[in-house]
Amino acid sequence: MEFFERFAVPHPSPLIYASMVAIGLTVIAIMAGITYFKKWGYLWREWLTTVDHKKIGIMYIISALLMLFRGGADAVMMRLQTAVPENSFLDAQHYNEVFTTHGIVMIIFMAMAFIIGLMNFAVPLQIGARDVAFPRLNAISFWLYFAGAMLFNISFVIGGSPDAGWTNYYPLASNDFSTSVGVNYYNWALQISGIGTLMTGINFIVTILKMRAPGMKLMKMPMFTWSALITNIIIVFAFPVLTIALLMGTFDRQFATHFFTTGDGGMDMMWANLFWVWGHPEVYILILPAFGIYSEVISTFSRRNLYGYKSMVASMVIISLLSFFVWVHHFFTMGQDALTNSIFSVTTMAIAIPTGIKIFNWLLTMWKGKIEFTVPMLYSVAFIPLFTIGGVTGVMLGMASADYQYHNTMFLVAHFHNVIIPGVVFAMLAGLTYWWPKMFGFKLNERIGKWGFWNLTIGFCLAFFPMYITGLDGQARRMYTYSEATGFGPLNMLSFLGAGIMAIGFIFIVYNVYYSFRYAPRNVGDDPWNARSLEWATHNPVPEYNFAITPQVNSSQAFWDSKKHGHQLFNKDDLKEIHMPNNSGLPIIMAGLFFVFGFSFVFYIWPGVILSGIGILACMAYRSFEKDDGYHISIKEIKETEDKFGGAK
Amino acid sequence: MRELFPMKQVNGFIFSLLLTIIALSVYFMDMSFELGMTILLVTAFVQAAVQLVLFMHAGESEDKSSIYTTVFYGVVIALATVFGSLLAMIWGYL
Amino acid sequence: MNMNHTQPLEYSTEQNKMNILGFWIFLGAEIMLFATLFTSYFVYENRTGNGPSGAEIFEITPVLFETIILLTSSFTIGLAIHAMRINRSKAMLVFLGVTLLLGAAFLGIEIYEFVHYYHVGATLQTSAFTAILLTTLGTHGAHVTFGLFWGLFILMQIKKRGLTAETANKSFIFSLYWHFLDVVWIFIFSFIYLKGMM
Repeated sequence: MEFFERFAVPHPSPLIYASMVAIGLTVIAIMAGITYFKKWGYLWREWLTTVDHKKIGIMYIISALLMLFRGGADAVMMRLQTAVPENSFLDAQHYNEVFTTHGIVMIIFMAMAFIIGLMNFAVPLQIGARDVAFPRLNAISFWLYFAGAMLFNISFVIGGSPDAGWTNYYPLASNDFSTSVGVNYYNWALQISGIGTLMTGINFIVTILKMRAPGMKLMKMPMFTWSALITNIIIVFAFPVLTIALLMGTFDRQFATHFFTTGDGGMDMMWANLFWVWGHPEVYILILPAFGIYSEVISTFSRRNLYGYKSMVASMVIISLLSFFVWVHHFFTMGQDALTNSIFSVTTMAIAIPTGIKIFNWLLTMWKGKIEFTVPMLYSVAFIPLFTIGGVTGVMLGMASADYQYHNTMFLVAHFHNVIIPGVVFAMLAGLTYWWPKMFGFKLNERIGKWGFWNLTIGFCLAFFPMYITGLDGQARRMYTYSEATGFGPLNMLSFLGAGIMAIGFIFIVYNVYYSFRYAPRNVGDDPWNARSLEWATHNPVPEYNFAITPQVNSSQAFWDSKKHGHQLFNKDDLKEIHMPNNSGLPIIMAGLFFVFGFSFVFYIWPGVILSGIGILACMAYRSFEKDDGYHISIKEIKETEDKFGGAK
Repeated sequence: MRELFPMKQVNGFIFSLLLTIIALSVYFMDMSFELGMTILLVTAFVQAAVQLVLFMHAGESEDKSSIYTTVFYGVVIALATVFGSLLAMIWGYL
Repeated sequence: MNMNHTQPLEYSTEQNKMNILGFWIFLGAEIMLFATLFTSYFVYENRTGNGPSGAEIFEITPVLFETIILLTSSFTIGLAIHAMRINRSKAMLVFLGVTLLLGAAFLGIEIYEFVHYYHVGATLQTSAFTAILLTTLGTHGAHVTFGLFWGLFILMQIKKRGLTAETANKSFIFSLYWHFLDVVWIFIFSFIYLKGMM
C-alpha cells in the first residue's frame, strides 16, 4: 500500500472527489460508446494514426476546446470565490491550485493548441501544398502535446496540482514551499508538450519556405501564412530556453541541486529570468497568428485588399526580433538598477510602434470597404478597440518607475486578459467560424454565433474592466480573499457576473456547433464567404490530397484574382499522380511512452522511467531503420474523387 | 588515396588546430583578463565560422540564405539572452 | 521519386532538401538551447557556495585531449562526406567508423573527468556552479552519446542498402549534427575551461 500512498491528493475536498468520479465515468462512457458502436478500427485508422495535416489540425482544435472548458471552469471558480469578501468556497491552497492550472491550461494547452490547430489546417491549403514538410513529425507533435496536456490534467486527481502560479517562481515552487508533486507535473507536462511545439515550429518553417505553389513568392503569401512563418521562427528560438529552465527546475526539485535555491550559490530569480526569456516571446507566439487571422477576416469581409501588406510583414518581423529583447519588464521590481530597467523599458515601448502600424492598417482596410458583419468580422471589429485598450495599459505597465505601483496587482491581470481575450481568443473563434465550412462542409449558424459573440464581449468588459480599478486601488493578484473594509466587494461581484455572462457566451458557441451540425444546409459551395486566398479554391470539405492540380499563383490573393480578373489557377494538363505519406501508429505509441516517462518521473518511479525511456529510444531506432516511401494516388482515382465533387479544379 | 583528403578540408583542420593553440595561450601565458577574453572570443567565433562554412557546407545549396538567416538570427538572440541576463542578474543587480 | 542528378545524392529529392533545411533550423534551436546553458553558466560561474571554483577543479590535460579528439572527429566526418560525394562508399564507411571511435574516446575521457570532479567534491548537489557546470557538460555529452547510436545506425544502413538518396541524406544530416557538437565544444573549451583557468 505504501507505494500507492504517493498518488493520494494532499488536500482533498468534495469537489475533487466529485471530479474523480466524473472523470472515471466519462472515460468509461467514452470507451463503452466506442466499443458499442464498433468505432475503434475507424478511430485508429482515420484519426489516431493519421498524418493528414487537416485531421491533425481538427484534433488540435477539439483538444483546445476541451482545455478551454477546463480552464474556463477554473476561471469561474476563481471569480466565484472572490465575488464577495471573506468567501469560503475555496480555501487558500485550492485557490492557489486553481489559478495555477487556469494559467497553464489556457496558455499552453488551450491557446497554443488552438493556434497550432488553425495553422495546421489552413497554412498548407493557403500555400497550395499537399501536406506539411514532415507529416509524420506533425503527428508526433500533436501526440506529444496531447500527452503533456493529459499529464497536466490528471494532476488534480492523482498526487495534487501545481500551486505556485503559472509563472512557477522559485523559491515558492521548491520542495520546501510546494510540497506536493504538483510542480513536478508542471515541469514534465510542459517539457513534453514543449518538445512537440518545437517540432511543429521546424515543420512549419520548412513547409512555408519550401512547399509554396509555383509563383507564390514570399511577398505573395497570404497574411495568415506570413504570421504563421514568423510565429514558428519565434517558437524555434524561444522553446529551447523553456526546455533548459524546466530541466533546471526538475533537477532542483528531484535531484536536490541548487539552481534556484537561496543557499549554496543558488539564485531564485534566475528562474524568473529564464522563464520570461521564453515567456515574453511566447506572448507573441500567441498574438501574431491572431493578427494573421484578423488580416484575413477583415480583408475578406471588407471586400478589399489588405491595406499596407509590406508594412504588415515588416512590423511582424520587427516584433519577432524585439520580442526577445524585452523580457526583464516582467520583473522590473526585482531590484536591478535604473539603467537596466530603462533599457528594457525602451525596448518594450518600441514594440508598440509596429503593433500600432498594424492597427492602422486594419482600420484603413475597412475604410471605404463594403463591410459585411458576419460572426468572424464582428470578432475582428470588436478586437480593434478592445485590444488597443489592452495595449495602452501595457505601455503603462512598461514604464519601469510606474510599474512599481502596478506590479502584481489586478491591474496587471486586467491588462493581460485584455490583450489575450480580445486578441487571441476572439481570433481563434473568428478563425474557427471562418474556416469551419472548409473543415466540415457547412457553416455555423450566424444568429446563434452572434448571441455568443455579444455575450462574450459584454461579459468580457464586465469581468475585466473593474479589475483595472481594484488593481489601482491596491487589490493584489492571487489573493484568495479580502476583507470587506477594502471596498473591493462590489467591483469583484461585477467581475463574477461578467465571468458568468462569458460562460453563457461559450454555451451559445457549443450549442451552435450542435445546432448547425443538425440543421445547417450542406450546399454552401466551395467558397461560402466570397474569400480571397487559395484554401477556398479547393473543394468543401477538402479531399485528402488538398489540390488535384497544383495551383499557379500571381499575387497574395490568387483566388480573388481568379474570380475577378480571369487569372487561371489550375492548368488542366497538370494533372499528375499524387504522392502521399502513409499513416503511422508510431507517433501515438511514442507519445504514450512519453506520458509514462513523465508520469513515472513525477512520482520517482525509476523502473518506469527507465523502461519507457528505452521504449522511446527504441521507437526512434525503429524509425531510423524503417523504409516508408508512402503511396501514390493514381490519376484515375483523382478524377473519380473530383467528379464526385463536381468537376476537377 | 590523395583524392580522399581534399586540400580544403586538410587546411581547415590545420587552421582549427592553430586556433586552438592560439586560444591555449591564455592558459600558458600571463595576460590581462580583457586581452584573454578578446583572444578567446575571436578564436571561438572564427573556429565556429570555419566549421560552418568549410565543413558544414552552409553556403552550397539553394537554401543558403535561409540557412545563414537561421544561424545569424540564432546567434543574435543567443547573445541578447546572454548579455541581457548578465545585465539583469549580475551587472545591474544592486 | 523525382531525382535530380546534377546535384549530390543527399540533395537529389525535394524531401531530401527539406530534411536538410529542417535540420539546419533544428540546429538554430540547438544554438538557443546551449545559449541558455551558457547564460546560466555565466550567471552562476562565481556563485560557488561552499564548493570549489572552476580554477580549483579544472585540469588542462584531459580537456586538451577531448578538444583535439573532437576536432579530429569533426575533420574525419567531413572526409566521410567528401568520400561519399566522390562515391567511395568503403572509404566513407571507414571515415564514419573512425569518427564514431573518436566520439567514444571523447566520451571515455569525459567520464573520467566526471569521476574526477566527484572525487574532488564537485557533485551536482554541491553548489549552483558545480550544478550548471555538470549540466552543461552533461547536455553536450548526452548529445554525443545520442550521436554515437545515430551514427552507428546510419553505418549499418549504408552497409545494408548502399549509398542511396536516403542514406546519403541521413549521413549528410548526421555530419551537420556532429560538426555542430564540435562547435559547441569549442565554446565550452574557450568560455568554461580556458576562461576558468585563465
